[in-house]
Amino acid sequence: MSNRFELRGVVAPTLMLLVMAGCGGGDGGGASSGGGGGAAMENPVNAATAGNIAGSIMFEGDAPSMDVIDMSSETVCADKHASPQMIQEVVVNSNGALANVFVYVKEGLESLQFPTPAAALLDQNGCVYLPHVLGVMVGQDITIRNSDGLLHNINASPTINRGFNSSQPVSMETTRSFRAAEVMVPLRCDVHGWMTAYIGVLDHPFHSVSNGSGAFSLSTLPPGEYVIEAWHERYGTQTQNVTVTTGETAEVNFTFSASMAQNAVVPLGAPVELHAIAEAS
Amino acid sequence: MGKYLKHPLGQAGVVLFLAYLLFDFGIAYIPPLFGIASAPIPNSVLLQYLITVSVGILIWVSDNEARWAEFKEPMHRVMVDPDLKTARNSLMVLIPILVALMTFSQVRPTVAAPTTLRSIHPAPPGRIDFQGTTLELGSLQNPLRSRGSMEEHYEEGKRVYYENCIACHGDGLDGQGHYAHAFSPVPVSFQDIGTIAQLTESYVFWRVAKGGPGLPNEGAPWNSAMPAWEDFLTQDEIWSVIIFLYEQAGHEPRTFEEEGGEGEVE
Amino acid sequence: MMAVMTRWWAVAVWFAAASAALASGSLSAQDGDALGQVTYERWCAGCHGLDGTGDGPGAGYMLPRPRDFTQALYQIRTTASGDLPTDDDILAIIDRGMPGTTMPGWEALLSNDEREALVQYLKTFSRFFSADEIPQPLEFSRATRSNADVLAEGERLFREVADCAACHGDGGRGDGESSPALVDDGDFPIPAADLTENWLFNGGGEAEDIYRRLLTGLDGTPMPSLADVITAGVITDEQLWAIAHYVRSLSPDNPPGITEVVRGVLFEDAPLPSSVDDEAWDEIEGAYLPLAGQIIVMPRWFHPRVDGVWVQAAHDGETVAVRVSWSDPNNSPDPEWADWKSQVIALMQPKEGDPPDEGPTPDQLVVQFPMQMPEGMERPFFLRGDNRRPVYIWQWQSDRDGALEGEARGIGTEAFLSGGQDLTVDASHADGQWQVMFTRPLVTEDENDLDFVIGEAIPMALFAWDGDNGESGTRGAVSSWYFLFLEEATPATVFVAPALAMILTAALGFLVVGRAQKRERQSGKIKSETPNS
Repeated sequence: MSNRFELRGVVAPTLMLLVMAGCGGGDGGGASSGGGGGAAMENPVNAATAGNIAGSIMFEGDAPSMDVIDMSSETVCADKHASPQMIQEVVVNSNGALANVFVYVKEGLESLQFPTPAAALLDQNGCVYLPHVLGVMVGQDITIRNSDGLLHNINASPTINRGFNSSQPVSMETTRSFRAAEVMVPLRCDVHGWMTAYIGVLDHPFHSVSNGSGAFSLSTLPPGEYVIEAWHERYGTQTQNVTVTTGETAEVNFTFSASMAQNAVVPLGAPVELHAIAEAS
Repeated sequence: MGKYLKHPLGQAGVVLFLAYLLFDFGIAYIPPLFGIASAPIPNSVLLQYLITVSVGILIWVSDNEARWAEFKEPMHRVMVDPDLKTARNSLMVLIPILVALMTFSQVRPTVAAPTTLRSIHPAPPGRIDFQGTTLELGSLQNPLRSRGSMEEHYEEGKRVYYENCIACHGDGLDGQGHYAHAFSPVPVSFQDIGTIAQLTESYVFWRVAKGGPGLPNEGAPWNSAMPAWEDFLTQDEIWSVIIFLYEQAGHEPRTFEEEGGEGEVE
Repeated sequence: MMAVMTRWWAVAVWFAAASAALASGSLSAQDGDALGQVTYERWCAGCHGLDGTGDGPGAGYMLPRPRDFTQALYQIRTTASGDLPTDDDILAIIDRGMPGTTMPGWEALLSNDEREALVQYLKTFSRFFSADEIPQPLEFSRATRSNADVLAEGERLFREVADCAACHGDGGRGDGESSPALVDDGDFPIPAADLTENWLFNGGGEAEDIYRRLLTGLDGTPMPSLADVITAGVITDEQLWAIAHYVRSLSPDNPPGITEVVRGVLFEDAPLPSSVDDEAWDEIEGAYLPLAGQIIVMPRWFHPRVDGVWVQAAHDGETVAVRVSWSDPNNSPDPEWADWKSQVIALMQPKEGDPPDEGPTPDQLVVQFPMQMPEGMERPFFLRGDNRRPVYIWQWQSDRDGALEGEARGIGTEAFLSGGQDLTVDASHADGQWQVMFTRPLVTEDENDLDFVIGEAIPMALFAWDGDNGESGTRGAVSSWYFLFLEEATPATVFVAPALAMILTAALGFLVVGRAQKRERQSGKIKSETPNS
C-alpha cells in the first residue's frame, strides 16, 4: 500500500507540471473576471513576410434537419426573429456549406508569444448566442452581454479551465476570461435549454469560424508548416498539413459528412486521465 | 436575600430549584459541551428525580430538631399569623385550583398514538426455509468464514450493502440512511452495541433473509420496512453482507457457546 | 518570456516536491494521506468510487449521483462561482452532509483527524488543487433584519428582477417554466429546489445559508451565482439579503418534527370544509408525514419525487374530511416532462429489470386504513396489507375524476369497488402543489369499509406517485403506519374529577389550617380568628 502513496507523491507534482506547461500562461487553469494582461507585448509576426490560409467547409450528403426552437414561453425573444429559429447544431446552406466550424492552427506556432487582443463579444440576443462558436486567446476578455432583458444564466463547463455559472436577469454585461488553452469550452443557458455556445481558447490569435457560406480565413501568419484543425460540435475534428509562404494564401478545404457523427470524438477540453498518467510516470 | 438562604426552607427551595435546572436542562446540554451526545429526559423521569431530591431534603431537615422546627416555622406562620391573612387566603384558593388543573390535564381526552410493545430481538425459529433449502438455525455457521478470501467477501458484502441497504441503514451503518426518517420503527444501527454485536451470524442471517414479514407477532411484523432479502439476494450474498456488517462496524459476532435467551422488549 | 520562466519554475517545484515525497516515509503529510485514503476507501468509496469519479456500487441507485471529485466542482462553497472550495468548505460538507441528497454528515461517525485527512485526500483526485493557490472565501456581509417590507421587496425581486421563478416557480416549489429541462454537470436531470422545504436545502436552510448560495452559486448545477448582478449594479447587497429572507419565509419556521398522529379536528358548530381550497382548511393544523422510495418489493424505486405530504383532517360526527397536500411540479401526464420522465427511468430503472412501456402515467395518491379497527396491537402489513389482514384504501389519480375505494391483501392485489361508493374527492394543482380532499361518512352500509371510530387512533398510511417522474405501480413513495385520531367532544364527565379534587384539597386545607389555629388559640398565643376564604 505504501507504494501507492509514494506514487501519488510523484503524480501530483507531475500533474501540476503538465498543467502549467499546458497553460502557457503558467498560472494554473482558471476562469477569472477582468485580466487581459500582456497588452504591452508586440506582435511577433512581420506583416511584410506573412502569408494567409483560407478555405471553406462543405457538408457531404443530406444535412440532418434541425428542430425548431419553441420560444413561445419567451415572447420577447420570439418577436426578435422574423422566422422560426432552428437549433444551431448543424447549419448547412443550400450549396452544402457547413457553418459554425472552428478552424485553428493546432501545431506550428509553439515558439511564438502573441499579445492579447481586445475583448471579444458574446451576445445573447433573441435567446440565442451570437456567435454560436467563438475563438479567443488565453487571457482575452470575453464580454458576455444580455441584450434580451430577461433571465439568462451563462453556465460554462470547461475541463481544463475552471468554469463559472453566472446569472444575468436583466440587460447587462459580464466579463470573463480563461487562463488555459482549451478546445472547446461549452456554454449553456439552463433557463433556455436550446441555448448553447462553444468557445475555443488558444494561446495564439489564429482561429476562425466558418460563416454561413462555409468560408473561413486565417490571415497574417508567419511563413512555415502548420497543422490546421477543423472542429465541429457533432462531427468531430479533422486536421490537414499546410505550408504558408510569404504573400500567398494557401487554400485548405474540409468536408464533413453525416456518417462522421457515429464515431466522432468531439473534444470539449482534453479529459485528464489521472490514472493513465500515474501508470505512465 | 442572605437571610432567606440561611433559613432551611430557603435552602431547601434553592436545592430543589437547582436540581430541577440540572435535570431538565443540564442533562441535555452539558455533556454536549464535552462532545458527549445527550438528550432531554422525559417528564415522568424528571418527576421521579425531583421526588427523590425532595425526600432527601426532608431527611436532611428533619435530622435535627432545631432545624426541623425552623424549617416548618414559616409554613406554620402562614397558617396562623393574623398578619398573613391575605397570603393564607390566596393559597387556600390557588392550591385547589392548581390541583384541579393538574387533574384535568390527566383526565381530558388526549390525541395520542397507542403505545406499541415490540420485541426487538425475538426468539428465532429452529429452522427456516431458504429458497427451497431447509436451514437449521441452531447449527448454521457462516460458510464464507472458512472459504476463500475474507477481503473478497468483505468487498462483495460492501457491494451488496451499497446497492441495497444504505438507503435505510446508512453509509455509516448507524441506521441514519436518507429513508430512515420515513419509517417507524427506525432502521437498526449496526454501530449500536445492542444489535449485531449481541447476535450470532445465524440470527442475523434469519433477520436478513426473512425481513419484517418474517418476524413473529411479538416483533410487530406489520410495521417493519425491512424487506425479505431472500427475494433479492443469494445465500452467499447475504453471508457476505453479514461479514461486511461486522467488519465495517468493528464488532465480533456472538458465537454459539455463549448463545443464551434472546428477547428484549422495547 | 514569462511563460518560459514559469515553466522552469514549475520544473523546480516538481523536483522539490517529488524528492521530498520520496525522501522518507516519516513525513507527516504522508501519514495524513494514508489515513485519508484508508478512511476514504472504507467509508466513501462505496458511492464515490475508489478513483473518486463518483461511480461506486451505490451510485447507480442515487440521483443526484455522488460527486465526481476529479473536476473539483463543489456545490457548497464560500468561494466565487467556478473557484475551488477552501479546505473548510470541504470539511463542512463532510461534517454536515448534503441534506436532500444521499450524502450523510460524518461529524459524529469519524474523528477530527479522519475528516481532516479526508479533505486532503479528496483534493488529490483533482489536478486543480495545488499547494500554492489557496482558494479565498468571499466576504459576506452581515445579515440584515427581516420584516414585512423586506419580505415584500424580496418577493418582488424573486419574481420580477432576479426571476428565480423561471426555475423555482412562483410559489417556489420547483415548478418553473425551465425546470423540466434542467441537468447537472454530469448531464443528469436535476430538479429545481423546492424552496418550501428548507430542511432539505443542500447547503443549509437559514437566510445566511441562502444568501451565500445566491452569491456563490451551486457549481455543477444550473443554479448560477448572482455576484455579477450585484457588481453590475442591478441589485444591491441588501436586496440580495431581501431575496434570501423571502426564500427563507417560504418554509415553516421550524422543520416539521416527527408526528405520529394526525388530529381530526371536531367541527361541532361550523360546517366541514366543503372544497379542497375552502378557507376553513387554513385553520386546521397539518401534520407532515415523510415518505420514502418503495424498496421492499420488486421493482423498487429509489428516486421518489414526493418526499413528504402534509395531512389535515376534520370531522363533524357524521363525515370525515381529509386533505393531503404535497409538492409536485406538474400535473402528470404533461408532454413538457416527457424527456424528464424517460431520462429518470433510464437512469434509475435498469437495475430492477426493464420498465414496461406504460404510456403516459398520472400522479396518484393512496390513503390506506385497516379494513377493520385492529384489536390489540395487530395491524395489517403497512405495505398494502396481507392475506390475513386486508387493508381498505382510497385511491385518487390525476387523469380521472373521482376517487375509488378498494381493498388489498398485499401490493398488486388492489381491487376497487365499482358502484355505490361513499367516497368523494376534490383535487387541485396550483403553483407546484397538489391538494386532494377526500370526504366520506364515518359509517357506511358497505361491509368492506372501515367504519371510522371517534376517539381512537386509526392506523393510516399514505402512498404517492409522480407519473412524470417515472412512477407507477410499485415504483413510488410510501410511508409506514401513522394514525388518524378523530377528536371527541369533551364529555362533561371529564370535569367531575378535577372538581372533586379541588373540593377535597380545599377541605383538607381548611382542616389543616383550622387545626393549626385551634392549637395556637389553645396555647393562647393569638386571638380568635376563623379561617377565611
